[in-house]
Amino acid sequence: MGSLSSSLLIAVQALEADQGALNVTSNNIANQNTPGYSRELAIFNEAAPTVEGNVTYGNGVVLQQIQSVRDQVLQIQISDQNQQQGNAQAQYNALQQVQSLFSNPTQGIGADFTAFFNSISQLSTNPSSIPGRQAVLTAAQNLASDFNSTEQNLDSIRSGLNQSVTQDVTQINSLTQQIAQLNVKVGQMQKLGQDPGSLGDQETQLIQQLSQLTDVHQTQTENGLTLTTGNGTPLVVGGQSFALQATNGPAGMTDISSQGQDITSSLQGGQLGGHLQVRDTVIPGLLSQIDNLANQFATSVNAAQALGYDLNGNAGQPIFSVTAGPGAASTLKVAITDPNLIAASSDKSQGSNGNLANLIAVQTQILPSGANPVDTYASLVSQTGNLTAQSQAEATASTASLNQLNNQLGAEAGVNLNEETTNLMNYQRAFEAAARVVTTVDTLTQSVLSMGAGVAGAP
Amino acid sequence: MRVNPNFTPTILTDLWQQQAQEQTAIQQLATGRRVNVPSDDPSAAAADVQNQSQQSQIDQYLQNTNTLEGMLQTADSTLGSVVTALNQAISLGVQGSNGDLSSSNRQEIAQQMQSLQSQIVQLANASYQGNYLFGGTATQSAPFALDPAQPSGVRYNGNSSVNSVQIAQGRSIQTNLPGSQIFQGAGGDVLGALQQLVTALQSGTSTSISAATTQLGTALSYVSQQRVFYGSAVSQLNANQTDLQQEKVSLQTEDTNLVGADMATAATELSRAKTAQDATLAALAQIIPQSLLNYLK
Repeated sequence: MGSLSSSLLIAVQALEADQGALNVTSNNIANQNTPGYSRELAIFNEAAPTVEGNVTYGNGVVLQQIQSVRDQVLQIQISDQNQQQGNAQAQYNALQQVQSLFSNPTQGIGADFTAFFNSISQLSTNPSSIPGRQAVLTAAQNLASDFNSTEQNLDSIRSGLNQSVTQDVTQINSLTQQIAQLNVKVGQMQKLGQDPGSLGDQETQLIQQLSQLTDVHQTQTENGLTLTTGNGTPLVVGGQSFALQATNGPAGMTDISSQGQDITSSLQGGQLGGHLQVRDTVIPGLLSQIDNLANQFATSVNAAQALGYDLNGNAGQPIFSVTAGPGAASTLKVAITDPNLIAASSDKSQGSNGNLANLIAVQTQILPSGANPVDTYASLVSQTGNLTAQSQAEATASTASLNQLNNQLGAEAGVNLNEETTNLMNYQRAFEAAARVVTTVDTLTQSVLSMGAGVAGAP
Repeated sequence: MRVNPNFTPTILTDLWQQQAQEQTAIQQLATGRRVNVPSDDPSAAAADVQNQSQQSQIDQYLQNTNTLEGMLQTADSTLGSVVTALNQAISLGVQGSNGDLSSSNRQEIAQQMQSLQSQIVQLANASYQGNYLFGGTATQSAPFALDPAQPSGVRYNGNSSVNSVQIAQGRSIQTNLPGSQIFQGAGGDVLGALQQLVTALQSGTSTSISAATTQLGTALSYVSQQRVFYGSAVSQLNANQTDLQQEKVSLQTEDTNLVGADMATAATELSRAKTAQDATLAALAQIIPQSLLNYLK
């Protein structure tokens, strides 16, 4: 049978539930600009009814749960897109520096080649001219120092990237450590069927930051999440994080290992993967082409020089001193300082320019690399341009799709002020109505109590 | 349908993009170039390197052409003077072959002839910018020296080599004839003929003088033939210069097409990006403060 006191209890329960819901709304509004915050829902439920005979009495409302709105699938897509974006952006940033070395068509190695051959061509109109010979040596010197500085600049971009790699590793380790700490708590709460709430938001947020840095795979286990790199190296298992180690590798470059195993080459995603890609593949590729170009060009010039005779009538000595293999471009030097030593002559007479034609022919000679010197350089220009344009396009595309995914997530999990205001009004009215019920029950109780005042036999 | 209440990141991305477009347009207008870094158009950037190299080569070819023109013209006019001197020598020879002349008259003519001879040797030792023109590739010492021991009275110290200079892609021009060929060639030995004429004037008969004069005439026409080499080389250089200038213009046009900015497009692009940005900002200003709260009083 229904009673006044049970009505009162129902009203008080409703007041509590509405208060809880107002809390949720207030928390949502407070966190509307907090990154990674997922809006929370107050889940009301009917209380278990009381059955008396044929009558089933409702027992009011309970605030059963406060639930964060999450979308695991979307989060995984965002994490994937984050690592692609981080990767492309890191490559783009590095490649912009690289391509700036090849940006000016009237300066640098390409223009120096032409200037060198032009100086020889100029000399051919007056082969015994000392200023003309000096001009050839100067042009050769410019060419050698541009080879030197291009290689040195690429090397210094590469060591800059190496530092970024070390920083990436430090950040990854700090993130995995924080994630592991949260992961234990979140796992325990989930085991108990509780909503991890803000802890879950924080963990998700940290995982997104981590995937910006490297390729993260996540698996849900009963002890929380397990995070691994793309090739399965564990990063976080339950409450334990596995730090990556940065160790000194060959040529002063940092290698990355996990539990004693070198995993550098398997790290391909994220910012770290992007830095490694440019550091270990793109720049070494360019360097080896520049080294080959320096070596093959200098060797061809020296060979042509050896065919002729200098102003003293001696066979031509090498103009360039050059090594083969790595570092050829950075060590390229002009070997002669005496302008008399340019072997212009083909017949030992001082006025002959016959051998200059052999030197000029190097300009159009197909080097072992497959093209003449200027064309080989031009291909370096287009390669760096293509790589940069490609990474730029990838960065733009992944940013756009990341925006799209974040919009999708924001639509689900973001705090909408209109919605919260509407909820606020609803809960306010409900609270007011429940309070009115309490007042009404109070009035009724007063009436019941005053009922006894008119009873016969009373004093 | 729910929408993302937090649209600022999307709008910011749009704004960044519009700003980037603005900057690109401004850079194009400022530099006049569509390709400012290789990634703007990798293949055009590479072609630009080749184009600039070709243009710079053409500049060099033009410079070579100018230098050579000066040298070849000097050689040509020197040979012109030689021809004039030889014509004088021939008229002196004709004068000397007159049977009415006394021996002392002939000696006088012989002396004039000798002075012409040394004048011609001097011309044969002409130089241009410190280089002897007619010594083959032995340009650093005078090719001809008077030497009574030689049958021609002159010794040749030069060589028989020639130089060639590239004046265009795949085109070279021979820049000299060795003095031995010009002045002592198989088709006519100017110096030998002169020496014979001097000898004939000094001690010969009018018949031998006449014969030597005829021989000098043959040598003269041979020198004139040799001179044609220089004249035609100069006109070849002139034609080459015109070709090079045309080639340079077409390379410049090609380069503008490759990497030059289309100013009209860039200007339009700039105002388009600016309008879009203004509109986005205006929309943002309208929308940001709006929510239901504005209407609850």
